[in-house]
Amino acid sequence: MLFPSVEWFQALCNAANANPERFRRLGTVDLVLVAKIDYPHQSRLFEIVFSGYHCAGVREVSSTRAAREGAVILEGPFEAWKEMVANIKANGQADLAHTLNTLTLYDTPMRVWAESQLDTDLFYRYQQNLQEFFDSASHFETEFAGPEATSVYN
Amino acid sequence: MQHYSPAVERVLDHMSEVRGGKLDLSWMNSNPGGWGVRATPRDERGLGLEDLNQVGIYGEVPDHGGEHGSMAPRGAEVPADTPALGCYDINDKSLVWADNVALLYDEAVARQWSSARDVPWDKLKPLPDDLEKAMCQLCTGLTEVEFIAGDMPAKWMWHINHDFHEVKCFLATQIADEARHLEVFRKRALANGGGLLKASPGSEQLLRAIIEAPDYTTASSLMHILAEGFVLTLFRNGEMLALSEVEKKIFRLCMQDEARHVAYGTMHLKYFLEKHPERAEDIHEILRHGEEAIFGLSMEPQTSEPRAILAGGGVDHIFEGMAKLGYLYTKQVREYLHRLKVAGLDRSSRLAIPLELPS
Repeated sequence: MLFPSVEWFQALCNAANANPERFRRLGTVDLVLVAKIDYPHQSRLFEIVFSGYHCAGVREVSSTRAAREGAVILEGPFEAWKEMVANIKANGQADLAHTLNTLTLYDTPMRVWAESQLDTDLFYRYQQNLQEFFDSASHFETEFAGPEATSVYN
Repeated sequence: MQHYSPAVERVLDHMSEVRGGKLDLSWMNSNPGGWGVRATPRDERGLGLEDLNQVGIYGEVPDHGGEHGSMAPRGAEVPADTPALGCYDINDKSLVWADNVALLYDEAVARQWSSARDVPWDKLKPLPDDLEKAMCQLCTGLTEVEFIAGDMPAKWMWHINHDFHEVKCFLATQIADEARHLEVFRKRALANGGGLLKASPGSEQLLRAIIEAPDYTTASSLMHILAEGFVLTLFRNGEMLALSEVEKKIFRLCMQDEARHVAYGTMHLKYFLEKHPERAEDIHEILRHGEEAIFGLSMEPQTSEPRAILAGGGVDHIFEGMAKLGYLYTKQVREYLHRLKVAGLDRSSRLAIPLELPS
């Protein structure tokens, strides 16, 4: 599975939806998360919609403004994303140094933000679900697309 | 033959009449405006409290709660002779309401966790003394402060008019959350060869300000937005400083609960200030007091030093850790100011504490 791509994020969605009991126990999530992968001269953005106990869909968007209202942006350079995903694959889940919270707390190497602080707070409010969502990348092989990878918007 | 009180005798007489075929059944014709509704779940998450507020008169939350002063459910027919309980004196919706409160209650119920079951306690490992002591001190402090968010709602809940049951239900979940936080930090302190260390006089000053706040909204602003907002960052910091999967999970799960409480407090203050803009100065004043107290607490050695030791990786690296915590302090204050701005209160020029720590 190529990272980043709609298919890659959809695979995470499928994994979450295939394990409804696990996510039912973690609780409901109502969130629009945009994963923003930054290359030196461009970015690729993937909008992931969570509703209740389900991941409701993934699409690539052209900019943060094109995402749904209230979207929470999780952004970082491609290398940081690559290291996180590779770490998840190597350990079966993110190790202590590569959890979403740890990677974003100091705003480097990754950062989380939204137009409203209350929306940013959703990232904290659903942290366990989001961690397990990304941890499911350990279940499949990932190939990494370099900076030459093109967005559907390029 | 046994003799009963007059009250019991009256019930026995009534039961005798029922056995004789004299039924009342007047209740079957009560509340016609509330009959025939069919609440439905909005989706697969099940029938939530918020869903009930989509049907007929049941979703009409009055600006002023019922004057009957009883626990009669909102939307029911209340007989004229229903006695008041005499305790409900918060009767104005604006004093407690938040537009997200029913949804937050539904979410809270769906997201309860167990500190016994959901934390992988078997993954604790022996640690160097300085790190174990730092983690135990951090947990001592959190065990001390967490239940303020149980005691404060408990102080006000029984004053809140029963027509605002959504608020009372949400606050009940918050009390359960805080009970869990108290126990999980106490458990961590006692589970790895350490123990509780030093309590915090500085904490008590802030806790007293919350408990003694003159009304619910000032107490909520202090606790839900200022204190819990700061603790939310502390939990994020704790997750990062975790020494094992145990602390990772503890702080992550607590972080989720805390963010829910902050969401209620922020939206309550917004609702309140929209209805009572003239009260903004009262909120400013209580927050000024709270900011000073929380600043003193944050800089107290038993609060700041353990985090610096954990951030630095040991007592030999405590100054490196302190430098890292300076950035987080600024982030903590900025997020607090942003939440207040969402609520309609701009404190950016009136902040009583530094935005950045001296380097």
